[in-house]
Amino acid sequence: MKGFIALCKMELRLFTRDFFSFFFALVFPVLMLLLFGGIFGNEPVYEGANVRMMDVCVPAYCVMVIGVTSLMSLPLTLAGYKEKKIYKRFDATPAGKGNVMLAQVFVNVVMTLVGIFILLVAGAVLYHVQVKGKILPVSIGLSFSMAAMFSMGFLFTAVGWDVKSTSLLCYLFYFVMLFLSGATMPDMLFPDTVKTISGFLPMTYAVDLVQGVFAGDGLGLHGRELLVLGAVTVACGVAGAILYRRKDWT
Amino acid sequence: MAEEIVRVENLDLAYKNVHAVKGVSFSVKAGEIVAIIGQNGSGKTSTVECVEGLRKPDGGQIRVFNKDPWLRRGEVYKEMGVQLQEAEYPLKIRVEELCGLFASFYERPADWELLLAQMGLDEKRKRPVHKLSSGEKQRLSILLSLMERPKLLVLDELTTGLDPEVRQNMWKSFGNIRKGGVAILMVSHYLDEVEVLSDKILYLEKGERQFFGTKQEFREYVKTRVPAGEWEETFSLEKLYLMITPKTAGLTMEGIL
Repeated sequence: MKGFIALCKMELRLFTRDFFSFFFALVFPVLMLLLFGGIFGNEPVYEGANVRMMDVCVPAYCVMVIGVTSLMSLPLTLAGYKEKKIYKRFDATPAGKGNVMLAQVFVNVVMTLVGIFILLVAGAVLYHVQVKGKILPVSIGLSFSMAAMFSMGFLFTAVGWDVKSTSLLCYLFYFVMLFLSGATMPDMLFPDTVKTISGFLPMTYAVDLVQGVFAGDGLGLHGRELLVLGAVTVACGVAGAILYRRKDWT
Repeated sequence: MAEEIVRVENLDLAYKNVHAVKGVSFSVKAGEIVAIIGQNGSGKTSTVECVEGLRKPDGGQIRVFNKDPWLRRGEVYKEMGVQLQEAEYPLKIRVEELCGLFASFYERPADWELLLAQMGLDEKRKRPVHKLSSGEKQRLSILLSLMERPKLLVLDELTTGLDPEVRQNMWKSFGNIRKGGVAILMVSHYLDEVEVLSDKILYLEKGERQFFGTKQEFREYVKTRVPAGEWEETFSLEKLYLMITPKTAGLTMEGIL
């Protein structure tokens, strides 16, 4: 346990030293909030609507934070450690690579929650955004979204044969999903063709689910989103685990 | 009689198209230094990686502290220190952070602050590991291998990248560590190092054991394989090795000039 705590502390330190992860997980979503808040203000999404722009944007940016840690930070860390044989060095200690990987997942989950917390505080202070949902549906909504996104990131690491190919997969899927899922701008602004494409992207379901539970929806209203995200978690997790076991660790 | 720490019997290891280790057997006892020598690709590192539990053998049996290192790696590493041939560490981690991290893995870690000073790395403790020179990284790798006060040390190319003064210091240090009862299995291309440090030699050629025994027995082994007129009793270990090892084609100036 002492070793695992030390590994978590080290990974946390390294996360904060990595400008890319730190900036895109903790700073960039707040900048997006300021940018879109400056453009749209916190007006109703359409005339007469009782939902305001920032009430929709903040949960969507929360999914953006999940995307950064799950599809960029964690997979690239895993691929980098594997390519440089850093896991092998840890395997030559009582800690083993399993504990290192567990610490990496743990730290990325923690930083996701920190990023979401910062975003919620910024939203509340700047635009009086409130989370109307109860703690349980919000927690389940975030957990399903994180599980699906982290499983996808894990699969990309398992599919990629080195850091370059893993980066390519992660960047490709992250940016496509970021712009077409409603995580950066509300999907109600999308033309019909883009809406059709976005229906195939797991992140779309995460955005819909998190927006819904933040607005106070019960989970019963989001059965489809929960089902899709659950299926993505299982499929990517199982496929990733099978492919990862086949990798040469030495 | 000294306790047997490592026992390897008929070790077999194959990669996709290469049979890297073929039926190799040897043992290492407490307070003994066994050096594995041989050309590049002769199976030295593959052999020690099986002993370290980092590779699963395809055949044969390995016992380290009477345990299978592949199946019981966590237990074996409580008493085994390892210095890998190539070791990388997380980017941006500092020397003292890495030492502290490794110390946290063990119940009774060595005094790494003292080791840092003895290894001449005290002034570099705040420096990111990736900014160390290759010699400094090598010293750090050696330090980390000593972190758990090991009963067995596996050293793959101990002094590669070290300057002559530090090399000699390392020889003295590891000589003293051996006197403390620690068993050492080492791989080296430096035959002067093997001559000074080792008690026994395991000589591999194309994955097969050619010889395992004391340095004196190695001398006798080579003597029987060279013409009488070419033999001198004063030959160094390096000379002996060069006399029996297969010759590789040297670089000629043809095609260059």
